[in-house]
Amino acid sequence: MKKISRYILVFIAILATSVALPKLYWLAFEKPISRPFIMYSSLEHDFMIQRHENKQFHRTDTKGNTYTRDEFEQKLPLFYVRQLLISGIMPDTINGRAMDTHEIGKARSSYRFKSSYMIAPTPGLYPLFESESGRANLEMPEDFFRITDRMEFVRASENIISEKKSQMFTTVLNNRGFDFPAAMIAGIPTTRKSCDEGYIVVDNSNQMFHIKMVEAEPYVAKVEVPDGLTFKFIACVDFSDKKYYSYLISSDNEVYILTQDEYELIKLPIEGFIPEKEELRIYGNLFNYTVISRGTSSLKVIALDKEYNKVDEYTESWTKLSDTKAGKAASFIFPVELNLSNLNSSFIDFYFERTKGFNWLILNLLLMIAHFFIIRKTGLKPTKNLIDFAVIAVTGIFGFLAVNIFQNKFFD
Amino acid sequence: MSNVIECKNLTHYYGKKLVYENLNLSVKEGSILGLLGKNGAGKTTTINILHGFLQPREGECLIYGENTQHLSPITKSRIGFLIEGHVQYAFMDIHQIEKFYSGFYPKWNNKPYWELMSKLKVTPKQKISTMSCGQKSQVALGLILAQEPDLLILDDFSMGLDPGYRRLFIDYLRTYAKAENKTIFATSHIVQDMERLIDDVLIMDYNRVLAQSSINEFMTTFKQFNFKLGKTDIDLSKEDFVSNLEKSEDEIELFTYESESYVKNFLKNKNIPYTNFSEIKMGLEDAFIGLTGKY
Amino acid sequence: MFKSVVYKEWIKTKWFLIILTFIGLLAVGNIFLKVQHNIAFNDANKYWYLILFQNHHYFKSLKFVPLFIGLLIALVQYVPEIMDKRIKLTFHLPINENKILMMMLGYGFITLLASYALMFFAFVGLSNQVLPTEIVQATISSITPWFLAGFAAYFLVALVVLEAIWKYRIAYFVAASAFMLFYFESSIPGGYNLINLKLILLTIAISISLSFSAYRFRKGEM
Repeated sequence: MKKISRYILVFIAILATSVALPKLYWLAFEKPISRPFIMYSSLEHDFMIQRHENKQFHRTDTKGNTYTRDEFEQKLPLFYVRQLLISGIMPDTINGRAMDTHEIGKARSSYRFKSSYMIAPTPGLYPLFESESGRANLEMPEDFFRITDRMEFVRASENIISEKKSQMFTTVLNNRGFDFPAAMIAGIPTTRKSCDEGYIVVDNSNQMFHIKMVEAEPYVAKVEVPDGLTFKFIACVDFSDKKYYSYLISSDNEVYILTQDEYELIKLPIEGFIPEKEELRIYGNLFNYTVISRGTSSLKVIALDKEYNKVDEYTESWTKLSDTKAGKAASFIFPVELNLSNLNSSFIDFYFERTKGFNWLILNLLLMIAHFFIIRKTGLKPTKNLIDFAVIAVTGIFGFLAVNIFQNKFFD
Repeated sequence: MSNVIECKNLTHYYGKKLVYENLNLSVKEGSILGLLGKNGAGKTTTINILHGFLQPREGECLIYGENTQHLSPITKSRIGFLIEGHVQYAFMDIHQIEKFYSGFYPKWNNKPYWELMSKLKVTPKQKISTMSCGQKSQVALGLILAQEPDLLILDDFSMGLDPGYRRLFIDYLRTYAKAENKTIFATSHIVQDMERLIDDVLIMDYNRVLAQSSINEFMTTFKQFNFKLGKTDIDLSKEDFVSNLEKSEDEIELFTYESESYVKNFLKNKNIPYTNFSEIKMGLEDAFIGLTGKY
Repeated sequence: MFKSVVYKEWIKTKWFLIILTFIGLLAVGNIFLKVQHNIAFNDANKYWYLILFQNHHYFKSLKFVPLFIGLLIALVQYVPEIMDKRIKLTFHLPINENKILMMMLGYGFITLLASYALMFFAFVGLSNQVLPTEIVQATISSITPWFLAGFAAYFLVALVVLEAIWKYRIAYFVAASAFMLFYFESSIPGGYNLINLKLILLTIAISISLSFSAYRFRKGEM
């Protein structure tokens, strides 16, 4: 038992040090890596790039022209519209189209997707707003719904189920062929939106429904989804132009939009996006959409026209953390880094990140030699510590610390 | 009579410092053995090995034939350990501690315990931590006696005790041991105490055993002779028969296992002049100091 | 024998156990007084909304309570054993050394379990009164690591206390503290869903860690 307990403690110490040491290391040596800000200019039909280097901003386009801050903002009038209006330099027409601030505002949209939105626990309980209350503001409903083996409304004040309402919605869902329970429920559960469009719900056999409440009655529409198309994430949006209900990410990592009223699924020409690892931003304006998918060391920007056709594309990469000086030095120290949280997930878990290459083997070897002398000095036999050597060989500095904190003494 | 304790070829180091090498000792059933030695001579090391709290580098100690590193519960129940300083569960009172220990020993006999407790002036709910050293020692001893062990290992049992208590403790212990044929292995800082208690003596010095025999044999064969040397430049301390020698000017205190006539013959044969030759009667403490030296 | 072991451990820990459990229950009671208050002032539906979508951790004052209890119970149980190296007395008892250690540990674990169970079920019971299953489940997932941390603290403090050499005691403490942080990562409700089972297994694994320092003690590392 004492042997087992020692190895357990060594294991625990390895876990703890492989979290703590890299964390301290990066706290001490990490330097910020600047990532460019890129936006498609509907004026220039080119990407405008702003970089932050050596505490200074550098603004260029893809051809290498450089711009001052004012020039840069003027190239992106639909993005910096407020600034241009204040400065009184907002053009009257762009691409032959008269500019109307109301119209500009209505066409503007911005959306941000993070992997951690998708890889996250679900609340399971959602408020279903009254879509046509006739009131100016949305009101938080008295009850919250869940879709398990039926659609159930739970009244918060008494924490009991509203049977009548639950039956009413369940019946309608059944009539529309809904297969309980729900696999995914997406909506905008807040009163701070322009109006309510309910929820997009995927049922147990991958059918998609639009569910909302209109004048206290259920409104359920089935969305025709092409065969074999399934989604891993749906984000409902509330944009002023009312063109679509949501962005959807399919199981094969394509990005779709679901249009309003016609319930048409349109695939956006975004290739190579990895939703588990990358962030996605979609900015819309009167003329274009700028779609930015960004990983840890590169980004890809795609410009779409208003019919969602690709008009231009730009990619850029920058130094990875592991390729910086501190990163390279770290590769000589740590064989692995352990994190409990991860940028790409909302879950706490053990996230192991293996160091690329085998630079750390040098240190592992040196530590094994050091350990040999430590053992000799304490008068123990190296042959009885073979497991400890193996632990150091594999886990390096973490194992070295662990086996010396929980010393192997007197074990026969 | 068989040996209750048997230590064979014990060798131990603390780091690189040798404590002792190839130490052998044994304790016969029914005997009371006192382990004497100066501080640092390895008394505590030996006790710790007997207690099973120290694994010697080489060799082993057996108690009732079992290695002290892995004593079986049955054997442990036959041994009463008195830990240095009469350490006990001080957060208990005398009733609680008796109740606690009684659950472990099948032969538990609380009569001697309560006999000793009745002599203490403590209240029934008084925590042991609030008792005096003497009272604590009585509690610790009482618990060991109630355990009805066959072997008692008493580490520095007289520490912190008043002279009266010490006497009481020793007399009680000796009477009890002899009446019930118990074996005792005891150490003490105070050598005088041992004289009243023990049958056999084991004297340790740095790295070795100086003497192991019955106390009677030791006291009769180990002698001190005082005399004056005619010349001051003679060094007798290297001679084989000399166990120890204290010298001031020309006054000699010579400790040896040899007889008076042997010493006198030796001096005569070597043509060493001496005067005032006399044998000095020693107590155990004198003999202990004589054997181990003052320093 | 087991009765005797329980008897001794009970003498050492009873007041702390009773008082700490009481404090734990007070902490739970306090949480629900606040919940009650919030519901009365904010409307239940708005309060639910805050919990479901605004990351309102109504239970967060519970975070370090089990840790605190586990830590203190371990201290009151094991510190008296190492004062004057009294653990020697334990090892002299006519019973296998590991067995008696496991009995002491078992006592601590079971009493701690009882104390936590009271708190936990009081908490879940009260939660169920005013909150829906979804919230209660996410909350259980969030508070589970905190209770596990209480057990882990108990086991690791036992290890640290029973170690006789100060240098190592400090080293164990540092390693144990770094490990204990695993239970206290900040996260959204349900964020511990994936790791809870792993943490349970790790916590079970370290339950026997005191046998390591106890063995070192028996082999003369003092």
